[in-house]
Amino acid sequence: MKLNLNNTFTIAKYTAKEILKSKILISTLIIGLALFVLTFVAYSFSYGDPARIAIDFGLGMLSLSSVGIATFIGVSLLFDEIEQRTIYQIISRPVGRNTFLLGKTFGLISVLVINILILSFVSVALYLFLDGEMNNLIVWSIIFTVVEAIMVLVIVSFFSLLTSKVLSVLLTISLYIVGHAIGGVKLLTFVKDRPFLEYIIDGYQFLLPGFYKLNIKDFVLYKKSLPTEYLFSSLSYGILYSLGVVCLSIFIFNKKDLN
Amino acid sequence: MLNLQNVTKKFTGDLFTQDFVAVNDLSFNLKTESVTGFLGANGAGKTTTLKMIMDFIRPSSGDIVFDSILGTNQMEIFRNIGFLPERPYFYPNLTGREFCHYLGKVSGMNTGEIKRNIDKWAPIFKIEFALDRTIKNYSKGMLQRVGFLVTLLHDPKLIILDEPLSGLDPIGRKELKSVIKDINNEGKTVFFSSHIVSDVEEVCSDVIFIKNGSLFYEGSVDKIIRENSKNDFTITAFDSNDLKHIFEVNLNEKDKKISSLMNEGFSIYSIEEEKPTLEEIVYEVKSK
Repeated sequence: MKLNLNNTFTIAKYTAKEILKSKILISTLIIGLALFVLTFVAYSFSYGDPARIAIDFGLGMLSLSSVGIATFIGVSLLFDEIEQRTIYQIISRPVGRNTFLLGKTFGLISVLVINILILSFVSVALYLFLDGEMNNLIVWSIIFTVVEAIMVLVIVSFFSLLTSKVLSVLLTISLYIVGHAIGGVKLLTFVKDRPFLEYIIDGYQFLLPGFYKLNIKDFVLYKKSLPTEYLFSSLSYGILYSLGVVCLSIFIFNKKDLN
Repeated sequence: MLNLQNVTKKFTGDLFTQDFVAVNDLSFNLKTESVTGFLGANGAGKTTTLKMIMDFIRPSSGDIVFDSILGTNQMEIFRNIGFLPERPYFYPNLTGREFCHYLGKVSGMNTGEIKRNIDKWAPIFKIEFALDRTIKNYSKGMLQRVGFLVTLLHDPKLIILDEPLSGLDPIGRKELKSVIKDINNEGKTVFFSSHIVSDVEEVCSDVIFIKNGSLFYEGSVDKIIRENSKNDFTITAFDSNDLKHIFEVNLNEKDKKISSLMNEGFSIYSIEEEKPTLEEIVYEVKSK
């Protein structure tokens, strides 16, 4: 069936509504409070520039909690719909599977963005309260956190089409860790001395997610500037990679028996 | 309305399990404007067949052809089908009304139409009092009723129901059977699977009966009963002392027996054909 944008919007709207009416926002508020307290504790027990410690800790926690929420809601995106058979109610209507999957994905992304904005507000508010200065890279870092969380969300939902929930989460976490580490691995002398390892890493970067491209926290901390081209290319990378995974998910989802 | 042509569904096993054929070379034709029951024992392949019709799973071979009355492409066809799955599942945090709007919207209805049809069907299914509650607080019967409501909400021409009466109390079952008859009288085609044979006999004009994934019988309910009746009759008569006597005879002996009884001074009270119920026929088939 063709993609229907009206139905995509409707599915996204009701997906977001269903999740927001659950307890997820309360969880986010608890995470936000924990983020605030932990950041406060971190800078209280540290020497040096408290604002810098606050933003370092705040952005790090923001990234981790966003990825956690993305994993948590992403793994249920399709898995629960199929397991709990709620999907039958929707795709027995004039709704293509591609429309359904895109609608669900956009719905979850909107929930994810709301969650990240709440948590970002906590981190940045504390940073500003400690006389930190706002700069563009902080905004870019938050944008990259959103993109990174979207990547995680679509990857975990892709895996959930192929395997169990637990395995999907484990695979996604593995990719997340490796995707952050891979950027630094290529710089190691051990790798530089062995060209075949470089090929393997190039192959990995071509297929699997390079999350390190979205990590600009060091630049935020040390107030270094980054070329606009780098920022936009990283942003494009994240968006295009997510779109690629969504397309692959649609391909598999269209072929899948919904038992 | 709907034609299955040599449909087979094989589930491929893995290293430890064998392939399993759930539906085997199944062909049948669903008559337009009929109420057709879809019967079969547990595991006979009823739900698998319905899932293939709804495109949830794909047949391993064979074709499923919809009548052009329903539309010429899948989008149009599905706009004209109302499907109620077995034990319908809903989004627990939405209210019944929100869920109706959700399904109405994706079925291409505007808000006015949705409201009008909710107002039409909710009182019939006696669910209007609960529409503003979240679905997680619904009882099983209420879920079934809201399931019926959303199935009929977009005014479909073909209504496919998978075990629609399960989970309902006797009054609820009676009410919903009456609704099925009413919507059929409005010209809708109803196809429903059930393991409760008496419900099918009560509501359906036609029946499709499958056994081990293959077609066993397709035709009218009356015909299957006629074909399986043994042509036995029960004659009830009273003698001159007003004592009641019951005689069981077959068709060939009936007239002779009646004459002889009348000659002997019996008063014939009734002559009844012993018809098996659909349920008896089905149990007989299952046990073979």
